[in-house]
Amino acid sequence: MIIYLMKRLGLAAIVVMAVLLLLFSMLHMIPGNPAILALGTRATPEAIAEYTARMHLDEPVLTQFVYFLGSALQGDLGQDVFSNRAVVDIIGERIGFSLALICTGMGWAVLLGVPLGCLAAVRPGSWVDRVTGVFSVGMIAVPSFLVSIWALLLFSLELRWLPAIGAGEPGDFADQLSHLVLPAFAIGLGWVGYLARMVRASMLEVMGEPYIRSARAFGLTPRRVVLGYALRVAILPTITLIGMGFGGLISSAVFAEIIFARPGVGKMIFDAVSDRNFPIVQGGVLVATGFYILVVLMSDLLIAWLDPRVRSSL
Amino acid sequence: MKDMDTHMTDETLLNIDALSLEFRTNRGQVKALRDISFPVKKGRILGIVGESGSGKSTVLWSILGLLAGNAKVTAGRVDYGDRDLLTLDAEALRALRGEEVSVVFQDPMTSQIPVLPYARQMSDILYRRAMSEADKRAAAVDMLRRVGIPDPESRVDAYPHQFSGGMRQRAGIAMSMLTGPNLLLADEPTTALDVTMEAQMIGLMRGLRDDFDTTIVVVSHNLGLIAEMCDDVVVMYAGEVVETGEVHDIFHNARHPYTRALLECDPARIADVSRKLPVIPGDIPDLTKPLAGCIFASRCQKAMPACATKAPPLVERGTGVARCHLLEGPLADASWPPPASVSTVARDDGAAAPLPANAGEPLLEVRDLNVQFRTMGALKARIRGVARPFVDAVLDVSLDIRPGETLALVGESGSGKTTLGRTILNLQAAAGGSVRFDGTEIGNMAERRFKPLRRDMAMMFQDPTGSLSPRKSVRALITEPLLIHGAEGRDLDAEAERLADMVRLPRGFLSRYPHELSGGQARRVGVARALALNPRLIVADEPTAGLDVSVQGEILNLMADLQAEHGLSYLIITHNLPVVRHIADRIAIMYLGRIVEDGPAAEVFANPAHPYTRALVEGVPQPDPDRRRPPSAAIEGEVPSLLRRPKGCDFATRCPLARDACRPAKPEHRHITPDRRHACLFPLTDTQDNKNKTETP
Amino acid sequence: MSALPSDPARSATAPEAQDGEARESAGRERREKLMRFLTDWQAVTGLVLVVLFFASALFAPWIAPYDPNAMDIPARMSGPTWAHIAGTDQLGRDTFSRILHGGRVALYIAAIGVSASLSIGLVLGMIAGYGPRWLDNLLLLAFDAVRSFPAVILALATVALTGPSLTVVLAIVILTTIPSYGRVARTATLALRHTEFILAERSLGASTPRILFQHIMPNVIGPLLILAAMEVPVVVSIEAGLSFLGIGVLPPQASWGTILNEGYLVIRDAPWMVVAGGIPLILTTLGFTFLGEALRDIFDPRMGRGR
Repeated sequence: MIIYLMKRLGLAAIVVMAVLLLLFSMLHMIPGNPAILALGTRATPEAIAEYTARMHLDEPVLTQFVYFLGSALQGDLGQDVFSNRAVVDIIGERIGFSLALICTGMGWAVLLGVPLGCLAAVRPGSWVDRVTGVFSVGMIAVPSFLVSIWALLLFSLELRWLPAIGAGEPGDFADQLSHLVLPAFAIGLGWVGYLARMVRASMLEVMGEPYIRSARAFGLTPRRVVLGYALRVAILPTITLIGMGFGGLISSAVFAEIIFARPGVGKMIFDAVSDRNFPIVQGGVLVATGFYILVVLMSDLLIAWLDPRVRSSL
Repeated sequence: MKDMDTHMTDETLLNIDALSLEFRTNRGQVKALRDISFPVKKGRILGIVGESGSGKSTVLWSILGLLAGNAKVTAGRVDYGDRDLLTLDAEALRALRGEEVSVVFQDPMTSQIPVLPYARQMSDILYRRAMSEADKRAAAVDMLRRVGIPDPESRVDAYPHQFSGGMRQRAGIAMSMLTGPNLLLADEPTTALDVTMEAQMIGLMRGLRDDFDTTIVVVSHNLGLIAEMCDDVVVMYAGEVVETGEVHDIFHNARHPYTRALLECDPARIADVSRKLPVIPGDIPDLTKPLAGCIFASRCQKAMPACATKAPPLVERGTGVARCHLLEGPLADASWPPPASVSTVARDDGAAAPLPANAGEPLLEVRDLNVQFRTMGALKARIRGVARPFVDAVLDVSLDIRPGETLALVGESGSGKTTLGRTILNLQAAAGGSVRFDGTEIGNMAERRFKPLRRDMAMMFQDPTGSLSPRKSVRALITEPLLIHGAEGRDLDAEAERLADMVRLPRGFLSRYPHELSGGQARRVGVARALALNPRLIVADEPTAGLDVSVQGEILNLMADLQAEHGLSYLIITHNLPVVRHIADRIAIMYLGRIVEDGPAAEVFANPAHPYTRALVEGVPQPDPDRRRPPSAAIEGEVPSLLRRPKGCDFATRCPLARDACRPAKPEHRHITPDRRHACLFPLTDTQDNKNKTETP
Repeated sequence: MSALPSDPARSATAPEAQDGEARESAGRERREKLMRFLTDWQAVTGLVLVVLFFASALFAPWIAPYDPNAMDIPARMSGPTWAHIAGTDQLGRDTFSRILHGGRVALYIAAIGVSASLSIGLVLGMIAGYGPRWLDNLLLLAFDAVRSFPAVILALATVALTGPSLTVVLAIVILTTIPSYGRVARTATLALRHTEFILAERSLGASTPRILFQHIMPNVIGPLLILAAMEVPVVVSIEAGLSFLGIGVLPPQASWGTILNEGYLVIRDAPWMVVAGGIPLILTTLGFTFLGEALRDIFDPRMGRGR
């Protein structure tokens, strides 16, 4: 178990390193002075000289990477080109908005999608199954950014039920919550359908297994057979899927933050790209990567905990 | 529970009456069961025997109402007491399941939920009982102990994957007996197990019947199991009951030609040693078509013109019924059934294979061959401090095969016999030792250099259909070896037809695809492909696996004919001892990757030297109810995992004759005669066998 | 199911009666599959929408009532009228014509993106499934990393360095969708790798390329083609999404994403633009999803898992 954990953590570290290397080399692969790229064309010669010295740009590339790595590991991701504030601080201000959005979006999708998938699988061909089937295809088919735009148009601009932009007044929980509803709805909608289908397919497969027939042959109640036996096994691939799907959810969240002008990390990266504000882009990408690696790791550990076969093979 | 059922005092516990059932498939309605009727008598063990496609398991599942979704009962009743199980509602049926009627499944690997421990699975079965959780657990522990699980107090918390195959099936039986059911249904309960395990399970189930007064219905294709275990027998063929009766009547006085033919085809019942085995020619009829007359008519040696059109009469006799024109009515034949000594099936005795010349240099020489499998990564081994992060799948194996000779490699699952076969053919890397073919060292040769040798050595794989590339036609499959090894100037179509003729496969089959073939036909394609390059050695891995008794003879006869014609050598890898007796010149017995005994087949069978050989020879249940073994005859325990290989003799953990001297070191191989070796410190041939038995505590 | 090879030599030998039956049942099975397809409303809807997508994209220059880039300033920001059934944008360009032409971009990306990532994914997946363990682990790690990495973040990082272009969109599309095919191909190959028929081929001396392309590929390609139908919506959505963010197809070229982008900027004054721009996107994704699912249900009912 400990070996497994170490292996997974080692692997995660390797991926983070690879991303760091990629980000670093990107800045160096494109033609032009990295200092100008990093500081923007408006930078003064003094600033460029100072930056060149500070970032060791006059030293060999490998040494530069070691310095870059060293400071990144110490939590120093550089400074915002315009305000000169530490990137880490800027991300710290914004990450809460992103986390709230992602967790709420996935949360409601799981709470609705998993039971729907179960219901559909228990009675294949019933009206619940058919309605779920059609709706879930519909929900998957609409790209999340389109859901965001249309939800904004319908619920904010036309019906005026919910606020359109921003994240709400700081400290006002109800206001913040009302700003969370639409984007969370938008990024979770596709997931409801996706999870419903996934759970349904997984349940149907498990329901065909011989051990489900044995459970029925021993006279267990249908309820116990479905919830205690079939779902217990069918949930395992679903957990992996949720873990793997977080990357997609992060993408959706970036769109939602941009469309609803929500001051999260995604919006920050997007704005920084337009401004060619590279330290911010670097920091944001790094945080997003780290988050997704953490989620995948957690889902793997959850599987290992829930599945005795995996547990004992570790 | 049982006291309430006063009407159960009647002798019949369950009565199946005129049951008919259809499966809806994309080929049309399959009439899987037609007019099935038989009683199950209280307190007895009833066996339903039949080959694949006979519908024997379907009968079992229809009793419990657990049929597949595309099945539909079209007629009949299943009376249990005063209730018809086919008309019971879901609630009433569920009340019955587990409590009064319980099941043992074929494959304990897939029929037990992998994510719950046995304690939970078993207390779930007791959910209807007003017992505390602690009492349920205690009941589970007691039942596990009763079925022979060692240390049940802690094992009850184990998960299925932590048990070995035999233990899993014991646990499966424990689960089914937990509620003390009136009726136990067992679906091929030993098919997934090895011979020595099978004997144990038969003893266990008979014991449970006596202790719990449970009626058992067991479904099997294994005549030995039926003869040894059952009191009454139902013989099924292609969805119909052809004969019923008490076990002695069925095995010694069979009246239906199919029953008779089935028994005569069983190699274990053929006393003389012959290269040619009897067969029932033909295939079972297409059950989607309208059926008239006798279902067996198309394959019956005694068939008359009327058999194909006129339904046979149901003829009563003391203990059962049979359905045949020969027995009653205008077509009755007083000379039927003939005495047991008369053969009623096709047995191709002509052109008997000449005895192979055993002289000459060996074609294949294997010396001290070792194969190892890694059990963990190098890093993990380092961290855990494991010095040997691998197991020995094959350990110091030596064997010779001479031209024209058949060597059978016999062992239970996990004995390394398949690995050995693959290593000889360079499909698996060897860790040490030597393999010489025709005098040339070929062990661990690079594939590029080995390729020309593949012309001389071919392999037949276990699964007849699964070893054929599914998207290739038969023509492409059997000519592929020619393409691989350069077919310049050859007419591939002509070659394909030549090969098809050689294995007696109709030429029309050349354009078929593997999934359109029956098991026997697919096996012929496998033989044809192996023969394409005129090899000198064929390694055949379980050549009769997946084939019914009535068909396996065709393949073995074909192989014998080809051997006589082309002077082939065979290395036959199998667990099927009765078959080996007929086809092998010499046999080698493997246990845990080591050869424990080898020698001429007849001698080894008649006079085993190693206790394991004797356990194997005696472990096969005899298809004769008069030759039942006492329950104690079964050898105890299970093949240990390779991870826990004993330090001394590998068999010492299970050997009834093991002494202290067996445990410190592996016994060397010793010769009895130049042709016969064993690896036992106290071989059975040294002293009087019986004397040895009594002396050992 | 591949068509059975017709062989003139065979007709010379008398075909068995049973052989004819097998042929007949194979034909019946094909007919039944076709019937099941044609009676499934989702399948038919999917097929109609997909045909519509191809036709409108291919024939856009002839169907479109206006030049997609022709500005008609007096008629700018017009709502849906008979002259402009989907309205006009802030430059007075006809939205409907722009949608039709935008379909060409979607088709271009879908065709090149799907075929490129299908081929690369197939080969990589087979290598991962059949090759040595370490290579499998490495490729699997790469597949998982790329597949679950947020595509938008990747696109933003790339565009930050290279600037937006259609090539970047295509590269992102191919890169992010390779793992789907790769994983399916790997799983299927891995399942086949230890089957007896592959072992049998090895025992005959068949070379690794022969085993991969003659024996494994025909068994792997079917599910991959169905997957390709289901991946078209993903590809089209990525293009639209990136173009919507202004980091994909650049104005003035019409694409569904740029129409949405321009519409979003004027969403309060001209809401019909984001509505009209979204409809073709939804119809296309629905069409391919329905079609893919129907094909999967008919040909490979067991494939539903794993994705």
